[in-house]
Amino acid sequence: MAEKTMYEHLRDEGLSRRDFLKACGLLAAAMGLSSAPPVAASGLPAHLSRGPSPARMVARAMQARPRVPVIWLEFQDCAGCTEALTRSHSPTLVDLVLTKITIEYHETLAAAAGYQLEENKQKAMAQYHGQYVLVVEGSIPTGAYEAFCTVGGRTALEQLKEAAAGAAAVIATGNCAAFGGLPKASPDPTSAKGVWEIITDKPVVNISGCPAIPEVFTGTLANVLIFGAPPELDSLNRPKPFYAQTVHDRCLRRAFYEAGKYANSFDDEGARKGYCLYKLGCKGPTTYNACASLKWDGGLSFPIQSGHPCLGCSQPGFWDGGGFYQGQSAPLDRPEVVMAAAAGAVGLAAGAGVAVANRSQKKSAGTEE
Amino acid sequence: MNWDAFLAFVRGPLFQVALLIFIAGMAYRLFRVVFLGWRRDRVPASGSKAGGVAKSYAKGILIWPFIPWVRNTFRRNPVIYLGGGLFHLGLFTVIFLGTAHMLVWKSLLGFGWPTLPLPIVDLMAVVGITAMLVLLVFRLTNPVMKLITGPAEWLNWLFVFLPMITGYVLTHHLFFRYEVTFSLHMLAIDVMLIWIPFSRISHFMFYFFSRTIHGIEFGKRAVSP
Repeated sequence: MAEKTMYEHLRDEGLSRRDFLKACGLLAAAMGLSSAPPVAASGLPAHLSRGPSPARMVARAMQARPRVPVIWLEFQDCAGCTEALTRSHSPTLVDLVLTKITIEYHETLAAAAGYQLEENKQKAMAQYHGQYVLVVEGSIPTGAYEAFCTVGGRTALEQLKEAAAGAAAVIATGNCAAFGGLPKASPDPTSAKGVWEIITDKPVVNISGCPAIPEVFTGTLANVLIFGAPPELDSLNRPKPFYAQTVHDRCLRRAFYEAGKYANSFDDEGARKGYCLYKLGCKGPTTYNACASLKWDGGLSFPIQSGHPCLGCSQPGFWDGGGFYQGQSAPLDRPEVVMAAAAGAVGLAAGAGVAVANRSQKKSAGTEE
Repeated sequence: MNWDAFLAFVRGPLFQVALLIFIAGMAYRLFRVVFLGWRRDRVPASGSKAGGVAKSYAKGILIWPFIPWVRNTFRRNPVIYLGGGLFHLGLFTVIFLGTAHMLVWKSLLGFGWPTLPLPIVDLMAVVGITAMLVLLVFRLTNPVMKLITGPAEWLNWLFVFLPMITGYVLTHHLFFRYEVTFSLHMLAIDVMLIWIPFSRISHFMFYFFSRTIHGIEFGKRAVSP
């Protein structure tokens, strides 16, 4: 029996043609298709990828391509990315992508547990070998600390390698899976690594963030599912449609930054007037994410809008990037007083030594005269 | 190494090392002079030494900058006088009254202070950068300046100019991604910090010594041996 296409699958689920087309429009928007056409690697005929209507392009692709399953693994994480997704306020989209189209195995959401669940995973991996999309949430302990994270008695590293071997593409969601995240923060007790440091023979897409923005995740996943390839990626393997601009670039408080109007504390006149949070430690200028444009909770708000500086959660090593409430211009940490005193003492000793030498030279020159 | 990692390096370990070299170097320069010792002043002074010092500072900071045309140094060479003066004014405004820089001081010293609005700081930055460019052209064209300018002077100019121009580009988000310019700005500052103690930029410390000592000499009204 031929594999059912995504459209056929949705139709069997009870989605009408009209709703399907609506959903395609939503998906196209979520993927940022109007601003970033899918890559040539999508394998679609040329006229599709240059079509005037992105929604139509999505619809045609979904009618042509089989459904692709997703296998979702969790390692050293807080399940926050899953939480964010399941509580996301764009039910049509998330529901469509996650429940109707794809998820074959998800540890947190699964009803089954223990051996049953493990068996299901093995079955899914065998059945869809070479086709499924692997989503990883959480960092992976390595080296001597590999055993610090095990599921069903097997280490995270082992499971990741096994699951990645049969995956068509790997998506690392959240800062932990992408760059190591909180587990990797100093002193990095488990020698934690992001997925792309371990899986190097497959495309790994990083959806960084803490948690990853649900719409960004869904949009990227939809891109992989529908076009068979991730959108164009930046140097940190993050999809460009969502990570091409900084939070600062799109910030609604940007005008106050340009005008030099800042909040000096969380409770002063400036804070109440909604001034720029740069002085309160905002990391917006170096943080690439879609927070300021997509926002959270269905476009309701995002941290800066609600009065909190950006923490830079979509950047590598953001936990160790200086204090969250320390202005970004400040050095990462100041030298200890002891070190500064020691440097001063070294200077003093050298200066005194040279001065004494000069004096004795002067004296001996004087006596010779 | 990507730009984020490089930024963390130039803001973190490299800045620390540069700062320690700066402290050690400045201490070296200071104590090298201090331990040479002073000759004891045995001549009774009929004037006030403290008064002389106060007058010397007041003249240098509060009077001459505002009526430069009465001074020979200005009449002989207004370009150097104005260029140098405006450069220092711009520099001090930016590094002490710019918000981003105040935050650096705050992180190092533990306390902060009110700052000027960005547009004003920005204007002063432009004034400082323009003054530096004018002084560079002057150095390149004036025959006397050409004679007394060696490699150290060119490097002084460069190591001060790089932080200023990268800072301007950074503030205005021009040309490159923010973290790239930020990295370059910090790198330029690290290089400058290391360079300062071993160059004449260290005059920011010795200026106060020379002004004090000159003030004492002018104020004491006594026979100098």
